[in-house]
Amino acid sequence: MAEYPGHLSRTHRLLDGRTVTIRPVRPDDFARERRFLGELSGESLYLRFQKWVSAPKEKLVHFLTEIDYERHMAFVCTAPGADAEEVVGEARYVVNPDNTSCEFGVMISDGWHKTGIAGLLMEAIISTARSRGLKSMEGQVLSSNATMLRFARGLGFKAEAVPGDLTIRRVVKKL
Amino acid sequence: MKRFWLESYPPGVPPEVDTRACPTLRHLLDRSCARFRERPAIVNMGVELSYGELDRLSRDFGAFLRSGLRLQTGDRLAIMLPNVLQYPVALFGALRAGLTVVNVNPLYTASELEHQLTDSGARAIVVLENFAHTVGKALARCRVEHVIVTRLGDLFPLAKRSLVNFAVKYVKRMVPRWSISGATGMRDALAQGAREGLPEVKLGPDDIAFLQYTGGTTGRPKGAILSHGNMVANVEQTAAWIRILLNEGEETVITALPLYHIFALTANLLVFLKLGGTNVLITNPRDIPRFVAELRQTRFTAITGVNTLFNALLDAPGFDAVCAASRGVLKVAVAGGMSVQRSVAERWQRATGIPLVEGYGLTEASPIVCGNRFDTGEFTGKLGLPVPSTEVAILDEHGAEVALGETGEICVRGPQVMRGYWNAPEETANVFTREGWLRTGDMGRMDGRGFVEFIERRKDVIVVSGFKAYPTEIEDVAMLHPGVKDAGAVGVPDARSGEAVALYVVKKYPGLTAEALLEHCGRHLTGYKLPQRIEFREQLPKTMVGKILRRRLKEEAMAGRG
Repeated sequence: MAEYPGHLSRTHRLLDGRTVTIRPVRPDDFARERRFLGELSGESLYLRFQKWVSAPKEKLVHFLTEIDYERHMAFVCTAPGADAEEVVGEARYVVNPDNTSCEFGVMISDGWHKTGIAGLLMEAIISTARSRGLKSMEGQVLSSNATMLRFARGLGFKAEAVPGDLTIRRVVKKL
Repeated sequence: MKRFWLESYPPGVPPEVDTRACPTLRHLLDRSCARFRERPAIVNMGVELSYGELDRLSRDFGAFLRSGLRLQTGDRLAIMLPNVLQYPVALFGALRAGLTVVNVNPLYTASELEHQLTDSGARAIVVLENFAHTVGKALARCRVEHVIVTRLGDLFPLAKRSLVNFAVKYVKRMVPRWSISGATGMRDALAQGAREGLPEVKLGPDDIAFLQYTGGTTGRPKGAILSHGNMVANVEQTAAWIRILLNEGEETVITALPLYHIFALTANLLVFLKLGGTNVLITNPRDIPRFVAELRQTRFTAITGVNTLFNALLDAPGFDAVCAASRGVLKVAVAGGMSVQRSVAERWQRATGIPLVEGYGLTEASPIVCGNRFDTGEFTGKLGLPVPSTEVAILDEHGAEVALGETGEICVRGPQVMRGYWNAPEETANVFTREGWLRTGDMGRMDGRGFVEFIERRKDVIVVSGFKAYPTEIEDVAMLHPGVKDAGAVGVPDARSGEAVALYVVKKYPGLTAEALLEHCGRHLTGYKLPQRIEFREQLPKTMVGKILRRRLKEEAMAGRG
């Protein structure tokens, strides 16, 4: 496992005046990540995992927080919460077996939509993937998820049909 | 937008319908009851209810709801009845009292019922005694204040009533034990209503007639808000389409699909009520021999159904005699809810001499959107032309219209389109485009004459004999079982029902069996949603970041069919 790439952390001021930190996820984010997932609506979880996800399982939270920073890279967006820092969004990519492309996934806390943090998180994973020499980034998006398809297009992704399956679209961006 | 399909309309079908004469369903009912007083409105198990009797009974029931239970305009009343005489009485009683009706599938499990009652905020429910035990179980966790229980024979003449009610309870033992304190019997409710009288209730096209529940991709069903205006528009649209072959006050339609489903509710009950026709209610169409026997005794001019039902009838012994007797009498056969197989359509036409006319719609559009022509003698394999006062567009994912003949999402605008989903602003926003088009979730194309063709569904939904089952709801239930770690549901082709549910499961406890899991699912899900097949896997196919690959599961399911 590579060292924690702390130098990739950035602090941003949002248009609404709030300050957030975008930084690579750490194993000690376990509790924060679990809480973040636990508070997502069924709709948000469905859009991300594309199936029913019940209360977040430990194994899933481990998968999301204990990464190698090489083949699997993830950023969380944190904000000062009521008593401690809390996770309000996250984005990640995992390198495909071809070693030149990667797949991304992004989740935003239900109360943090339209604040701009999704764009900041995507920027973080896109520039990291690019700097690591990856050539393209792709994602599997539900065809009914018009918001995500619009968002991806805005970031320069192209939506493609998936042969034999109209329920999903593949979005791809050259890095 | 140019509605070029109007040029393909059959002679006699107007491009627009006018709902000003009958702005609400109550006006529609009042009008038919006044015009066709002596005609039979509803027939069930050989017992007739004339328009006059339907008028009186529904007024009495409405009076009970309004004066007896003190329910107010806009309060929700759940109706949990199969196709029996009490259904139209309860329905029109509620609508006359200004209430909003929440139709409930009587075969629902307690948890499905509980969700619907809680989400809709129903204050009262009408239930057939056979299903009262489910209500009893769900009641503890809902706000329902009043329960009206009816027995199967309650609206039959005395002798038949006693016989049927006795047989159902003690001979056939079709009534599981139930206990609901303070429940009112239907007959008492009607008697009380008759004494009190129905007060004048103000009702307009914007008042909500139904919260009609339909599945959601993210788990539990949501209620489509259908106003009186939506419903009367769709009744006029459908009636305008069909009446070129039908005559007012002369028709009899076989209503075998459940009235709690929007298709039979509009296309049968309401359209034929408008036309002064007779609805013959089939309580249990799965009992094919009795169904066929009933058809043999009935002179009917119209029938509606889903592919599965027509197929079952064509296979049934004795149906050939029904066909022989129906030659020259039967005028229309309408299929909706699911795709019609060409083989079934062709067999139907050979057997009966009339085509199986396919229509298309969805709960969110009250439901009829498209229909095939009734005046052309053959099956098109298409969904049909947009009905009057309806716009259909094929849009791409940006909401722009695709070139004619290209594939895109079938989108609808018109007076029959719902206002939105009950208490679900996000899902409402997602289902409409910015220009106000309702996105159906079905992919299709339109030809140069305006006929819409279905290609494939874009939404993750499994259609079992016209009923929608959503993978997430099945996955949710499966994952409630302590022995299940992960579950994925997909639709697989099924010769009988069009599609069936296949469930793939990752075990948490090695001892878990398919039988135990199916039994668990049966406690939470209505029959049609239950997996036909359960298979265990070490893991489910997923992408690198953990998204399920349903396509892979489907391929596995298809390969494993042998």
